[in-house]
Amino acid sequence: MRLSRILTMAWESLTQRKLRTSLTILGVVIGITAIIGLASLGEGFRLDIRKRMQSGFELDNLTIIPGSLFAGLSRERFTDEDIQNISKILGVKIVTGIMQIGNVTLYNGSKTVQAFVATGVNFTEFIQVFPDRFVFENGTIPEEDRNDTIVIGYKVNHPTENETAPFAGANDTITLTLQVLLKTPFPHYEQTDYNFTVAGTLRKTGTPGITNFDYWIFIPLETTREIYDTQESDLIFVRVYNSEDSERIAKDIEALFPPFRITILVPLMLIKQVDNILNIVQLFLMAIASISLLVAGIGIMNIMMVSVMERTREIGILKAVGAKSRTVLGMFLAEAMLIGIIGGLIGVLTGYGLSYALALMLSSFIHPQQQGTTFQTPEAPQRLNITPVFSPEWTVIALVFAVIICVIFGLYPARKASRLNPVEALRYE
Amino acid sequence: MKTLLDVHDVKKAYRMGKVLVPALRGVSFDAEEGEFLTIFGPSGSGKSTLLHLVGGLDRPDEGEILIDGSNILKLSDDKLAELRLTKIGFVFQFFNLLPRLTALKNVVLPLTIAGVPEKEALEQAKEILRLVGLEARTNHRPSELSGGEQQRVAMARALVNSPKIVLADEPTGNLDTKTGWEIVQLMRKLNEDKRQTFVVVTHDPHIAEAADRIIYLKDGLIEGIKEAPRRNKQ
Repeated sequence: MRLSRILTMAWESLTQRKLRTSLTILGVVIGITAIIGLASLGEGFRLDIRKRMQSGFELDNLTIIPGSLFAGLSRERFTDEDIQNISKILGVKIVTGIMQIGNVTLYNGSKTVQAFVATGVNFTEFIQVFPDRFVFENGTIPEEDRNDTIVIGYKVNHPTENETAPFAGANDTITLTLQVLLKTPFPHYEQTDYNFTVAGTLRKTGTPGITNFDYWIFIPLETTREIYDTQESDLIFVRVYNSEDSERIAKDIEALFPPFRITILVPLMLIKQVDNILNIVQLFLMAIASISLLVAGIGIMNIMMVSVMERTREIGILKAVGAKSRTVLGMFLAEAMLIGIIGGLIGVLTGYGLSYALALMLSSFIHPQQQGTTFQTPEAPQRLNITPVFSPEWTVIALVFAVIICVIFGLYPARKASRLNPVEALRYE
Repeated sequence: MKTLLDVHDVKKAYRMGKVLVPALRGVSFDAEEGEFLTIFGPSGSGKSTLLHLVGGLDRPDEGEILIDGSNILKLSDDKLAELRLTKIGFVFQFFNLLPRLTALKNVVLPLTIAGVPEKEALEQAKEILRLVGLEARTNHRPSELSGGEQQRVAMARALVNSPKIVLADEPTGNLDTKTGWEIVQLMRKLNEDKRQTFVVVTHDPHIAEAADRIIYLKDGLIEGIKEAPRRNKQ
């Protein structure tokens, strides 16, 4: 018997029992809707999170810290030679070292503000490493050969949000009180006042990565080195040409130092981890959704068992007029397959429909929390912006899955039908 | 004349719970090409069992059945189905039409199974329906047809593949006497026109007498075989 005729007969048989067929198909539709909906919505959710992380983590930048982040930072520092060596690695765009002094108080006439750290930087290099964040609200980048210029972070300059006048403006002369840890003759803090001229103040940039420039002030690296009487750096920032290379570059950098001496923060790795976790969560959810398809499969099996019983005589007739067992098998399997295909197609459509509807609802109801912490994101409240993703792969997988489930659960009843003895089947009332 | 059907010492028993009930206890007969044969006997004599075996719907426990040279005991299930499809036509007491299909679709069924292209199959089916006098009822479903009409559809279905042998199991058993007789007449006519072999099982002596030969069956054994003079009652 021709396949097209088997399919036609299966189709006729299904359309003759419309309500029963519709309900059976509904089971498959619900299963596929759940799978496609979760896949599409989950993928959209993941892309949104990835986008947020990418904009927040400065993927092109690596941070090199002496010692281990968790075992306590070592007192060791980096030499200019280290920086030179790192800059020779393929794919590295620019390398800059910084030195930091904690506990800073700034005075401008009667006004006093606090800053997390005074950071000694090479301004020309630094602005190339952080072109998106080292942006001036007021004033300009300091001249290179001056050692008494200062750049002030946004929060230091605007300690409270509602205050009208900033702490300082360009060309103001301010006084810094620094707690400097001196190692000689024995380690101790020494409080000293220094006068600086404000070269500029920074725009609000928030906390991408692990540093928040809003709470920092910046002075020339050479000045901090003079204060500490050293030619070294506390931290190194590396900007790479292509973030995809960052893992390899991190390994190359690690190879330059003795084992366990440095920690390199690679933002790409963090994102990959989060991505992996989201992947697992999504697969888990879809596995749960698949259960509904399994239930649909059992429904199909149940209906087909009834159908085989009802049509026992019909099967006997078909066999009596010369239908082979595999023709009967084919007819019943074709019915199961059609249920799978129709249910799958409808399910894919409703699945994407559902995910778009849910995305719209979630986007209008959920706003990520904005709090006045140091980890605040810079811009105005961002809405959750999930765009469901249409994935041809998932669509095909879902369809194939639907058909496979239907065929598997249809197999037993179909085999039962095909193995009926024609004489007994004809006698069946 | 060529022997089309050769049944040799066929035995068949059914298991009813723990008891083995013999239905046929060694039956032998043959049928020639173009012959009209009836198997006559009371109910429980094994008539239907014999017909099922001859038609390849079931297999004998012992003995040999040759249809047009092929031993059905040696055929695989698929080959047996193919034999039923190409060489055998069945007519049943309860018509056994598919209720959801029209008369035409019922008749087309064996051709569909045989893979005959749809257009050609429909032409053939219409031709056969015309032959059994139902050209005006092709698009009716079985429930819209009388018993006699349904049996004509069943006959058309049995004949549509041009089988060598037509097997009828009590074809008049569910019809009134007049209609039953008409059906028998139709079978005789087709038998004469197309030279197809007919084996008809009946418990109606009147119908049995319409045959070329009558085989009397009782308790699973052949009691006698009678060459009958053709009778054509009008």
